[in-house]
Amino acid sequence: MATPTSAANPAAANKPAGRSAATKPAATTRRGGGGTGVFGTLAHVALIVWAILIIGPVLWTFLASFKTNAQIFGDPLTLPTSFGFDSWVRAWDKAHIGLYMWNTVFVVALSTAGTMLLGSMAAYVLARYEFPGNRVIYFIFVSGLAFPVFLALVPLFFVVRNLGLLGTHGGVILVYIAYSLPFTVFFLTAFFKTLPTSVAEAAAIDGCSHTRTFFQIMMPMAKPGLISITIFNILGQWNQYLLPIVLLPGNVEDKWLITQGIANISVNAGYEADWPGLFAGLSITVVPVMIVYIIFQRQIQSGLTSGAIK
Amino acid sequence: MRHGRYPFIIGFLAAPLILYVVFVISPYFQAFYIALTDWRGITATPEYTGFDNFARLFDDEVFWHAVRHHIVLLVAMPLLTIAIALFFSFLLNLGGGSKGGRMTGVTGSTFYRVVFFFPQVLAVAIVGVLFQAIYRPDESGVINGLLGKIGVQPIGWLTNPDLALWSIIAVMVWQAVGFYVVLFSAGMSAIPKDVFEAAALDGAGRFRMFFSITLPLLWDTLQVGWVYLGIAAFDGFALVQVLSVDRGGPDNATTVLPLEIWRNAFNFSKYGYASAMGVALFFMTITFAVLTLRVTRRERIEL
Amino acid sequence: MTHTDGSPGAITRRQMLRRIGLTALVAGPGAGLLNACATSGGGSAAPAASGSAAATSAANPLGVNPASPLEVVIFKGGLGDAYATDVHEPMYKKMYPQAEIKHVATQQIAQTLQPRFASGDVPDMISNAGADLMDEGALQAEGQLLDLTPLFDAPSIDDPSKKVRDTLLPGTVEAGYIAGKPYVLKYVTSTYGLWYDANLFKEKGWTPPKTFDEFKTFCETAKSAGIVPYAYAGKNASYYQYWMILISAAKIGGNEVLINIDNLADGAWTAEPVRQAAAAWAEIGPYMGKSFEGLIHTEVQTRQNQGKIAFYPSGSWLENEQKSNTPDTFAYAVAPTPSVTGTDKMPYEAIRVAPGENYIVPAQAKNPQGGLEYLRIMLSKEGAKGFTEKSGSFTVVVGATEGLTLSPGNQSVADAQKAAGQNIVTLSLFETWYKELETELRKQTNALMFGRIGADEFVEKMQAAADKTKNDSSITKQQRSA
Repeated sequence: MATPTSAANPAAANKPAGRSAATKPAATTRRGGGGTGVFGTLAHVALIVWAILIIGPVLWTFLASFKTNAQIFGDPLTLPTSFGFDSWVRAWDKAHIGLYMWNTVFVVALSTAGTMLLGSMAAYVLARYEFPGNRVIYFIFVSGLAFPVFLALVPLFFVVRNLGLLGTHGGVILVYIAYSLPFTVFFLTAFFKTLPTSVAEAAAIDGCSHTRTFFQIMMPMAKPGLISITIFNILGQWNQYLLPIVLLPGNVEDKWLITQGIANISVNAGYEADWPGLFAGLSITVVPVMIVYIIFQRQIQSGLTSGAIK
Repeated sequence: MRHGRYPFIIGFLAAPLILYVVFVISPYFQAFYIALTDWRGITATPEYTGFDNFARLFDDEVFWHAVRHHIVLLVAMPLLTIAIALFFSFLLNLGGGSKGGRMTGVTGSTFYRVVFFFPQVLAVAIVGVLFQAIYRPDESGVINGLLGKIGVQPIGWLTNPDLALWSIIAVMVWQAVGFYVVLFSAGMSAIPKDVFEAAALDGAGRFRMFFSITLPLLWDTLQVGWVYLGIAAFDGFALVQVLSVDRGGPDNATTVLPLEIWRNAFNFSKYGYASAMGVALFFMTITFAVLTLRVTRRERIEL
Repeated sequence: MTHTDGSPGAITRRQMLRRIGLTALVAGPGAGLLNACATSGGGSAAPAASGSAAATSAANPLGVNPASPLEVVIFKGGLGDAYATDVHEPMYKKMYPQAEIKHVATQQIAQTLQPRFASGDVPDMISNAGADLMDEGALQAEGQLLDLTPLFDAPSIDDPSKKVRDTLLPGTVEAGYIAGKPYVLKYVTSTYGLWYDANLFKEKGWTPPKTFDEFKTFCETAKSAGIVPYAYAGKNASYYQYWMILISAAKIGGNEVLINIDNLADGAWTAEPVRQAAAAWAEIGPYMGKSFEGLIHTEVQTRQNQGKIAFYPSGSWLENEQKSNTPDTFAYAVAPTPSVTGTDKMPYEAIRVAPGENYIVPAQAKNPQGGLEYLRIMLSKEGAKGFTEKSGSFTVVVGATEGLTLSPGNQSVADAQKAAGQNIVTLSLFETWYKELETELRKQTNALMFGRIGADEFVEKMQAAADKTKNDSSITKQQRSA
């Protein structure tokens, strides 16, 4: 069996240029690279400025969670005077941040898994099998990309309610999967099309059923693309604000997800004037995400890159 | 050779398709129907009113404000994001000059990439609440506090009708840039090194290489990015809801269609009208996507 | 996969049973039906209280089923929700120990409940308040609200020989009218005016201005003392400001001004009193500073607690809302809005005292009698007194504050009410009837007060919006006579 050329793995073939950045760029010896000094400095300045812009708001919010209400309305650039965690406790406890985080992790994990499974199944069939209606079905899936969710909101609610799934995580998960399918099918179809047919043919000759071919040969070959689409989906579903609000209404607050929880707290902080609590809630939300991100950033970034580049 | 393909095809397509039709297609069709009624959203069979809602839409000045804003968003947001992202990708991949025939980034590229990408993993509603305090219009806002240190009066980032939309666009760009830095970086590193080596041998410096080689070869990625950002430009719901004065103000300066749809459905109970707006939004999104793909279509450069 | 029928008109078996179902003692189900048909034009469900009705008795005049659970949704805002969890719900539980009470507190009433109304799974009692409250006019037009007449005609818990409606402040029942019937219980009386720190004013030797000329002088004085003389929160509470403008208009031209506005009378907004009021307030605008347009109400209120703002327009819930932020040296007091012209129809002391805070019972509730009974409990003296204790606000129940020590704010309110006597500015009903008009008013108020438009443009724009509402056939119109 010929080893498949990994047309899908360009990044694996080359070291990303950034890796060798540890060495200071020496003054160039060729034409066209002149002025490294000035340019280099400007480059660094620009990069540092943007880095500050990114880190700044998060850091400020973190520090502000230790301030008092009065301090928050004062000079924003002073440091908090005491570093007590009571606002954090209030956010965790009264505002149920921990519960919301766990709910969100649970829902997003299941719905991403479901999306990837169903999406790749559909994409595979659409990409590699000719049958009447193939183009129509593909079009139906992809056309979903063009529809704004706002349009479907109320009818969607009925459907979920009629199925008895309102206010349940199951309902949210199914809806997330359904609405993630257009994107997933779109990209994965294009992706599956690039996989060589030789492997599949060889497998068929060997007597592999379609299903086995799919799961044991094609999917592993598609791993980079799958990883990147998975990451896209996780990010997208994690971000959802509108759907949880509609599908998990106020009487199932124990099932809420983090976005609606934080939005609720920001209104709460409005009515109860507990701004440190709000910032603490934000910090609690952001810090674990940051940690997970830092640990997995290499996978996240390489997953994105190798799959998305055509 | 392919025995039993139909059962397989049906088996694999059934679950996704059914799920999709039930939760996505069916609601969308119903929404089109509702747009032709004056349903007040609660019970009762809706009463068919034909294209009344659309006629009313035409006269609705708030609707047109929102449309104008989407146009601004469509142009400014992708442009700014992609320009800044390209700039940073350039710095992080090619900005270090050539070294031994290979292009490198400036020092600390990995660190920067990690930091820049971070806002993408934050939910947009959370980003909105984050920026509330940053943009606060008096001296206790972070930006205004900084300006105060150098003696500048506080600026009404979200209260000044001319600034408000741009402040929100800034937040969108803030969140999006890192993603495209990473995306473009990956695209750049996918370009085979021999192309650069050949160019370097011919005496091209980094700028020349960027504009003549990198950019054209990145075109597909840029196009995808533009469409993706454009579709985001038709949203903006969470940010406008959290940050703007009285949801869409001041004086309709920041309103967007999703917000107006929301308002008409949940505050005014005019579901028919809201659905009509949704239909309008849909047609705009589609037009944009089609146009963009047409206009930016180019020969695929085979590597 | 079975049910894919998500169409709005689908009738479930349960709804069918409801329609046929036994109607216990709701007065005028026939009239209710007529109402629903006339305005909605499409087979909506009759707002008859069916479902789990039980036999009536002297102790249970509304026929509450003692075993039926009760779901109560409370807006958790300035008044908190302790009055429900600590007072009213325990009282209901005492009367009906078998009933399980579910308490839901939220700030997003419409967001949470609108979809539930769409599906028919509604709670039994709702406090409909906050920035995200539901459009009661629309709800009533669709037959979704229960007619509260049985509640008001039921015997009062304290004195069964009296009807509930006779134990309330005059005008309370009518304040909740939609299409001529009481669908909304307005529970709290609020007094609206300019709030200030009595101690700060005593220290500075200031008195609240009686005319707008005095007001302007005051603004200068306060400004030179480094205090913002007047401010309101433009980001989410511009309605506090338009209240002041409309109150001033009523003081100039009498309550007919507001009644005309509510009735969408021609030229109601371009009438001279409205224009004068807008112009007077527009002159105060520059003293505010533009940053206030971007702050929410608690941010501005906290600043007032810190002594940075002199006057703040609000209602009598303010003191309770700011409880945790108010230093001990701060004493809330209310002043009426200053007189505008020398020939105002109402004297300076006239003040708006209005029933507010809407409570409704959905028609499709599973335990509507329970909902009504819960309201009856709220309207008892014990319920009202407990409410005042927990929330700091007065109710519409007469004599419910006997024996309570009043906070400085509430004392000031009592004094102001006494000084006003019969000169009471009425409330505006268009705020609940015509949400689109109200939304436009919020925008234009901000534009007026922050210097982007003048008074003439303000009244013209509002008149145009009112005319648009009047000509919009999809909006049900209401009328008020007084």
